[in-house]
Amino acid sequence: MIIALVIIGFIFLIGIFFYNSLIGKKNQVTNAFSAIDVMLKKRFDLIPNLVEVVKQYTTYEQGTLTKIVELRSKAGSPNISNAEKAELDAQLSSSVKGLMVNIENYPDLKANTNFINLQTTWTESEEQIAAARRTYNASVTDYNNAIMMFPGSLFAGMLNFQPIAVLETAAEERKNISAKELFNN
Amino acid sequence: MSFDLANNVALQQVLATMEVERKRIAGTQTKGYIFIAAGILLCVLGFFLGFPIPGLISGLIPLIYGGVLLFKINDALTAYQNAYKTNVIGAALKFLDESLSINPYQGIEASEFMYTQLFSTEPDRYKTEDLVTGCADKTLFYFAEVHAEYKTVTQTKNGTRTEWHDIFRGIIFTADFNKKFNGVTIVRPKDFGAAFGAWFSKNLFSFGNNDVVQLENLDFDKTFVTYGSDQVESRYILTPAMMERILNLNHQTKYNISLSFIESRMYIAFPLNRNYFEAPVFKSLLSPDTVNEDISTIKFMYDIVKELDLNTRIWGKE
Repeated sequence: MIIALVIIGFIFLIGIFFYNSLIGKKNQVTNAFSAIDVMLKKRFDLIPNLVEVVKQYTTYEQGTLTKIVELRSKAGSPNISNAEKAELDAQLSSSVKGLMVNIENYPDLKANTNFINLQTTWTESEEQIAAARRTYNASVTDYNNAIMMFPGSLFAGMLNFQPIAVLETAAEERKNISAKELFNN
Repeated sequence: MSFDLANNVALQQVLATMEVERKRIAGTQTKGYIFIAAGILLCVLGFFLGFPIPGLISGLIPLIYGGVLLFKINDALTAYQNAYKTNVIGAALKFLDESLSINPYQGIEASEFMYTQLFSTEPDRYKTEDLVTGCADKTLFYFAEVHAEYKTVTQTKNGTRTEWHDIFRGIIFTADFNKKFNGVTIVRPKDFGAAFGAWFSKNLFSFGNNDVVQLENLDFDKTFVTYGSDQVESRYILTPAMMERILNLNHQTKYNISLSFIESRMYIAFPLNRNYFEAPVFKSLLSPDTVNEDISTIKFMYDIVKELDLNTRIWGKE
């Protein structure tokens, strides 16, 4: 009798342990996503300043600037899904990259201290976002492994936990940022 | 070697002068050892031939004389070894980069050694010497030789026995990192203990403030275990490119290196099994590989900054 109780108690404890670890992993995924969100917001906040500085020096990049501002206000709207936000960020990122390349034609702008600061902050945010995305992917993999492997799969079935897709990294993000390419000196 | 020591006239002159001194020391030391050996031989011979007392007396004289010779040359030896570090290594450093300098009497303090968080055992005996400081482009760095040990005391039949064990022996290198960060990231070689500890803290229970950071570079994850106080920040430091560079650096060394990133600085521990920057006594200073080996070590340390791309300062830290 006692032995049976001990065994049941032991199984119960193991059950609690696995359940808690699963919940912990799920929360970790949410937490990791919010880290990306914070970084994205930080980057979106740079846009108005960037647009202001660039506007002073050039009238030719209006098209790109308008597009960037639009994308930014879309990304800032409250009812937007995570996937949409990531997509907008990718578009925004490539537009800004294009802008940075075009700016090579404006030596005055390139030498502007505000602009240089913005450029530095932008690259910093790029790498921070990349780091946050990698963290997110690591937590997602961890969570997916936990819900697909036994005995976590038992709980996952009961709680209806679904696997989450990892974020695909754009090819250019896998490359390390090279100072040479950015400043093209 | 990126530069040719054989064609450096100033350095060759210093070496030639020191070679005379080395020969004198080596000669005296050899003489001392011969007298001691002869003394012992006389004692043993006397004992076996049945004249222990005359044997002992006649053996003791060369024995003492040999001892005195060695004792007297010891000061000259220390002076010669320090001159080697300051004049030869110092000159070679300047040749490599003007900003480099060596101080044989300084090193990395025990407190800084513990601050790196690369070692969990507090040393009972700590030796450090040969501090080399320099600046490679924008990056300030320094490194020194460190030998840290802990002791174990065991009870035996005849009392207690103290044994010394290495915590670390080698070179600790530190440089200003090119990104700003506030937390702690530690990269340790993955041996069996570390692998088990990492599995335990990831799956069951984590001790301390630092969690295991699972990185996506498989080679890196196989070679090292990474702990960090902030998962995002650890990945901000260990970018895919940085992981590759660290692996490259690790391939160039015999033993696996450990790294830590604390408050915008990086520390690297290189375990080594020999004492660096020591002047040879029984080997000619003029043979090129004597100095070259030491210079290659310095060159290797100097190149870390380039190898890890620490001069690329595009992240708002100048």
